[in-house]
Amino acid sequence: MIAVVDVIPLSWLLILAGALFCIGLFGALARRNVVAMLMGVELMLNAANINLVAFWRYLEPSLITGQVFALFIITVAAAEAAVGLAMAIAIYRTRATVLADEVNALKG
Amino acid sequence: METVVTIVFLIIAALMLFSGVMVVAVKNIIHSALWLISTFFMVGALYLLLEAEFLAVVQVLIYVGAVSILMLFAIMLTRHVMASRPEQAFYRRWYLALGVCLLLFGAAIVPTLLAQQPGFAQATETAQQALGSPERIAGVFSLGVAYVSQYLIPFQIAGLLLLVALIGAIVIAFEERSRRRRILTLAQEHELRRRQAQPLPPAEPVVMAEESNP
Amino acid sequence: MQAIIDALLGWTGAPQWLLTLIAYVAIATLLFVVAPLTMMFLTWFERRGIALMQDRLGPNRVGPAGLLQPIADGVKMFVKEDITPEGADKYVHALAPIVVAAPAMLMFAVIPWGYNMVPTDLSVGLLFFIAVSSVSAVGLMMAGWGSNNKFSLLGAMRAVAQMVAYEIPLLLAVTSIVMLTGTLSTVAIVEAQGGGFGIGGWFIWTPVGMLGFFIFAVAALAEAERTPFDIPEAESEIVAGYMTEYSGMKFGLFYIANFLLAWLMCAIGVTLFLGGWQGLGVNELRAAGYGVGASILSLIYFLLKTYLLYFGILLIRATWPRLRVDQLMNFGWKWLVPLALANILAAMLWVPITQWDAVRGLGFLAGLSPLARFGLAWLVAAVVNVAAVIFVLRINTARPDEPPYALADEPAAGL
Repeated sequence: MIAVVDVIPLSWLLILAGALFCIGLFGALARRNVVAMLMGVELMLNAANINLVAFWRYLEPSLITGQVFALFIITVAAAEAAVGLAMAIAIYRTRATVLADEVNALKG
Repeated sequence: METVVTIVFLIIAALMLFSGVMVVAVKNIIHSALWLISTFFMVGALYLLLEAEFLAVVQVLIYVGAVSILMLFAIMLTRHVMASRPEQAFYRRWYLALGVCLLLFGAAIVPTLLAQQPGFAQATETAQQALGSPERIAGVFSLGVAYVSQYLIPFQIAGLLLLVALIGAIVIAFEERSRRRRILTLAQEHELRRRQAQPLPPAEPVVMAEESNP
Repeated sequence: MQAIIDALLGWTGAPQWLLTLIAYVAIATLLFVVAPLTMMFLTWFERRGIALMQDRLGPNRVGPAGLLQPIADGVKMFVKEDITPEGADKYVHALAPIVVAAPAMLMFAVIPWGYNMVPTDLSVGLLFFIAVSSVSAVGLMMAGWGSNNKFSLLGAMRAVAQMVAYEIPLLLAVTSIVMLTGTLSTVAIVEAQGGGFGIGGWFIWTPVGMLGFFIFAVAALAEAERTPFDIPEAESEIVAGYMTEYSGMKFGLFYIANFLLAWLMCAIGVTLFLGGWQGLGVNELRAAGYGVGASILSLIYFLLKTYLLYFGILLIRATWPRLRVDQLMNFGWKWLVPLALANILAAMLWVPITQWDAVRGLGFLAGLSPLARFGLAWLVAAVVNVAAVIFVLRINTARPDEPPYALADEPAAGL
């Protein structure tokens, strides 16, 4: 059976991950809603995971290190999403807004 | 057979990038969250193609089954019930961010990777030769062994991190019962208005009853 | 199936990958046929069963003993008018039933139906089952939000909270079984229950399996939104919860997903705790070389056990009242999760006592016979589980003004 390793060059997978990272970066930079920014951050973390798994499969598939690292990133991403969304809800309750540029009480 | 694998990979990649673009481009944030779920599924499919089955299943379980629901709950709890003013979804100068991202992709990522490709091909060749048969690809069993032997401390710290995040999220988003707006019935509203209209009676000294310790 | 396709089509000289593709497409088609047939039989089974339990007759006019009633139901679903509420999000409203029903179809693929009859033997099959069942919660949210109806949204949020809260005891109960067998593959778990003439080796006879089965049964009832946890679909609750604004075949898809999920939970319960397709005579037939006969016998055993568990679900539905939503959350977090964690502790003690030897420092146990080790492990696990049950009972039923422990500066009650 042909595996993907023999057919697709590694750089294609890394370019795909890079593209997803740049899309996530645009989402985190250009959106005003805090939850939408968090979605961009999740896209960036997924892109990093794709990178890790691609390197694992292509360069060192007999060790489990790549998958362990990717699992830790998934864990940290889930924890960060939970706390970030809790903060968004708390900010909404006190400021009645969920747009990042309107939470500017410390400005100037 | 090679063309089948290439076609499958290109379909997954195209769907993933399309979903990603729709996540950041649509104005309605719930649609954005649903496109994010689609992106997570496509990433999971890519992991299956790369023969990391446990990771693919964990991706679906955690990202689609938990993080997405968390995001949907957060969106629903932070919507304006009455849309008093239309809000822009993007900053006014969003094209700057677009330029930065395109520059990063086109001028930094792609040339670097294309230049490194021969080195990658060489390293892949040696690694696959050293691997031998497909059965030697590390699977779930070695993951379990690694978590209790080589990566025990990061595993425990990750558990501690999740505990801290759990407690922190509850504390941050917790709302005391007394601070919630209570919806009163019509009779209770009448009573409240009647009490506010009358002046309060003079305060009498109140004798606190002796409390007996249980 | 691969062997059948090879025998039928091997003479055409087609390349091997094409034959493999045809074999898998045939398996998928078979599953797509089996799922609706199961669903149709289940609706008849449920309506007749509950009716007879409630001292009435149930559907008995359409066909012999009402067996064609599900076809009449299906025709009714198809011809009803398909209404989308005005102001609702068209695409989200239309996609939600698909996102709820598709995982139920996917989960058929990892159940071992009989000896050598698993559609696909994933090395992470059990985790695949649970991961896919958690996807349907997203569909519930989409249904509630896409209906442009505050009560649908409230009902959907309650249903999702219930489903997500009870995934944790489900996963923990399953984890204790995974620790016993050391594998996530459903086929390997069934193969591990083959001792004792096909009946004595089931995991439910071990203390880990007994408590695990109880926790799994309760959590599976809550996952499938069945009585006593059927707040989202009960008639006396917020109209019909997230399904309010759905009519016609979209509601039919929700209906299908509900029944199939309950049946699949029974099937996995049978696989994990009741020995799957193991039964009297299956292993003897295998050893004698009658593979096909063993397959058919094991399929019969599997279906019998699964429908027995489903009959248990029907009994509960016909007789018990339902829990309030806060009682439900209370029960899940305060009763089931501690019990499931104690069950994992018991499994953690079971595995070394029965399986480890001098290599891991338990040389003094290696000298005992397997039966003695099994008995010792049984005792230790039983003590741990019984202590956990008593502890959880005392903690949860303590009166608020009298703590379950004695305070230091007063004599303990009863002295």
